[in-house]
Amino acid sequence: MSGILTVVDAHKRFGGIHAVRGVSLALNSGELLGLFGPNGAGKTTLFNMIAGLYPPTSGRIELASRDVTREPAFRRARAGIGRTFQVCRPFRGLTVAENVLAAIPPGSGVGDDRARAREILDAVGLLPKAEDAAGSLTLGMLKRLEVARALALEPKLLLLDEPLAGLTASETSDLLGFIQGLKARASIILVDHNVRQSLGVCDRAIVMDAGAVIASGSPDTIRRDPGVRRAYLGESAA
Amino acid sequence: MKVERGRDLAKITWGSLAILACTAAMAALPWLGVTSYVRTLVYYGAYFLALGQAWNLMSGLTGYVSFAHGALAGIGAYAVVLALNADLPMVISLLIAAIAAGLASLIIGVTSLRLKGTSFTFATLFLQELVLLLVRKLPFAGGPGGIVLEEIFPLWLPHVLMIAVAGGATLLVLVFRRSRTGLRVLAMRDDEAAASAIGIDATRVKIVLFCASAAIAGLTGAVHGVFASSLFPNEVFSIDLSIIALAVPLIGGAGTALGPVLGAVIYVGLREILQVLAPNLHLTIVGVVLLLVILFMRDGIAPALGRLFRLKDRRGQVPAIAEVRA
Amino acid sequence: MTFPLFLQLLTNGLVVGALLAIVALGVALIFGVVRVVNFAHGEFVTLGAFATYLVVTQLNISPLLGIPLAFVLGAAVGAGIQAAIVSRAAGRPELDVLMVTYALSIIGLGIFSSAFSGDFRSYSEGPSGIFTLGSVVIGLRSLTVLLVCLIVGVGTILVVQRTRIGLALRALAQSRDSAAACGINVPAAELFAFALAVGLAAAAGALVSLIGTIHPRVGHDLVLDAFVVVVLGGMGSIGGAVLAAIAIGIVNAFTSFALDDSWARILTYCLLYATLLLRPHGLLGRHVGA
Ligand SMILES: Nc1ncnc2c1ncn2[C@@H]1O[C@H](COP(=O)(O)OP(=O)(O)O)[C@@H](O)[C@H]1O
Ligand SMILES: [Mg+2]
Repeated sequence: MSGILTVVDAHKRFGGIHAVRGVSLALNSGELLGLFGPNGAGKTTLFNMIAGLYPPTSGRIELASRDVTREPAFRRARAGIGRTFQVCRPFRGLTVAENVLAAIPPGSGVGDDRARAREILDAVGLLPKAEDAAGSLTLGMLKRLEVARALALEPKLLLLDEPLAGLTASETSDLLGFIQGLKARASIILVDHNVRQSLGVCDRAIVMDAGAVIASGSPDTIRRDPGVRRAYLGESAA
Repeated sequence: MKVERGRDLAKITWGSLAILACTAAMAALPWLGVTSYVRTLVYYGAYFLALGQAWNLMSGLTGYVSFAHGALAGIGAYAVVLALNADLPMVISLLIAAIAAGLASLIIGVTSLRLKGTSFTFATLFLQELVLLLVRKLPFAGGPGGIVLEEIFPLWLPHVLMIAVAGGATLLVLVFRRSRTGLRVLAMRDDEAAASAIGIDATRVKIVLFCASAAIAGLTGAVHGVFASSLFPNEVFSIDLSIIALAVPLIGGAGTALGPVLGAVIYVGLREILQVLAPNLHLTIVGVVLLLVILFMRDGIAPALGRLFRLKDRRGQVPAIAEVRA
Repeated sequence: MTFPLFLQLLTNGLVVGALLAIVALGVALIFGVVRVVNFAHGEFVTLGAFATYLVVTQLNISPLLGIPLAFVLGAAVGAGIQAAIVSRAAGRPELDVLMVTYALSIIGLGIFSSAFSGDFRSYSEGPSGIFTLGSVVIGLRSLTVLLVCLIVGVGTILVVQRTRIGLALRALAQSRDSAAACGINVPAAELFAFALAVGLAAAAGALVSLIGTIHPRVGHDLVLDAFVVVVLGGMGSIGGAVLAAIAIGIVNAFTSFALDDSWARILTYCLLYATLLLRPHGLLGRHVGA
């Protein structure tokens, strides 16, 4: 197995807040890694550093053995990092199809690109909405649109930031099944604040709390970890 | 906490005393036998400072850019001349001028201040044009030929008045930005949504502040109307005055009390030098200085100097938040 | 009012409105994509006007050729200014960004005023004569302006609506972070938008020089109307700006005839304040960038 992503001792400070405190991780190709932790643990911040929204305060990020720590977000996207946003950020005034088209690397000719966009929309079940304005979609649809847009990049690595939050039970199990099916196409990091819900589909998982990794390993290891149990008892009480 | 407040209080007290002393000294100039050149220079410095502080009170503290302060001053100038020509006493006439400018500002405030900053800026930009067009059209305003003040006042009167307005406006900004409301306004500039969330009625605060700022601009314009005594619409309402109103605080340090003082001194000096060297390039140079200050000093010369000498300044702490949001 | 007079005024209004539309299109494009109110836009119009004037009077080149020349010059200058100055202020508070373009405007105004003094200039080269269609008389120069505006305007809208780079610009106008996450080169797209918009402004300046007099404030005055149009059309909406420009051009032609020029403008501004009060997202618009 070859490494697709390596994060080495990443830190992020926002003024006085130390949001991520020395996280390291390695992801193999074809792997689905679960990233868990309560709100404010630093999961989104870690994603933003990997995707290049802002650079880490210190540390290194490598994509397929290439150092991308200082590269801007758009270049990382082109290099194969697809991501969704926890708070959906669709291009509201554009149609659903245009949202996906915007992420398809240009070049193969407009006709092909449009067909490709429809293929991807079909895969996430949004084809009937292709010509609607993205601003008119429900939350469940927006979450799928974000996944579709990330897939349009033909990514090697997919970063999914709480794609299941706010969905109904049936929407959740549908999308979870779909995400599991994506393993054939890309390595995935899946963020969820609900361990029970998605640990089952993960090959491996990491649990963060207060900016640091507090547990990592196979799903079984995670389930048995006393620290995780404690953190999650606190979480479920909230 | 108490110590902080104490230090703040000391700053305000010493600052106020210094401002009052300077104001008194400058106001006494006509009786101290200085040349009329120096007196005129001081007068114009005070004029630009008063205008700059008026702008500073609104735009410097809230971040909502006004292009209308020249026009608001123009309204004050017209109002005072019309009132004095109708034989009203000086104090009443000045009051009318301040109120007239305040009312005009309400047009802008009510229509645009609940919107984003850009709408406000556009609304102020259009007021400048609208007022010029109206003044040229309205019969009682004398049309394109302008109006003349009938009674001649001694020159010391506008001199003393202008220095009082400039000193008073500076004092107001100094005290206000450290008051409870002032701190709320500064919080609003940094994050309006967050400020609303802690219960600040942002729209009302902005409208009141803009009105006060306009009234000061109107008063400034009125005193200058007494000084100039003949008003031509194209001069009174030229965009130049609005440029000066924002260039003075921005160059010196917007949102601070003393920045505009430095800005006014720099501007008057620059104006004198350029009048000799390159009268045509006056505007261009002001633009270049403004651009350089914004790009390379961010918040003006006074705060930059303050940082250089490691003086602590409230704005100096802001970049942390700006970075977080970027 | 007789019907022929009505048609005549309509035609005059259309010419002014079309010119305004090209300028407003650029303002809306920069506002939508780069999130900057370009206060210096008028100075780029002036640049195009004086460049054409110089090319025509000094080099004996046809003013028709001056239009593409002005476009290229404007696009180059615009790209330089975006790269060297405006992009530096990106991410700074709104006040700073506004003041950067405003300072550029003051600098431009000062340069043109001192280089060309306050004189009014014009030239007689290029298309001349009139063209009659029934009872409507239209100067060949005005007709040229109308046609060029139509071509340039439709061309720009096609680029924005139908091409991949246009899609990137529209996406960027909706969300910067998402655009970057989709692999869109944000700085390059901003550079393109700024250069295109300034190119349009300079081309509009070339057209102004064809039908009007040229003076240092010519663009400054025109762009004030363009700002009115952009607010009326709903900030940043390109379609809204174009429609509002043509509407304002026509309304102005009629009110100028019925009253006079100044009252026409006074009415425009009153309409603008009423719009801000009653329909803050513009006469047509609902959302920014919609
Ligand atoms: N842009 C930012 N500015 C300031 N603080 C931030 C910013 N983004 C995140 N934080 C802080 O960093 C911490 C981690 O946040 P985040 O990564 O969003 O957590 P999670 O995604 O695990 O819920 C939180 O305390 C949050 O308030
Ligand atoms: Mg999160």
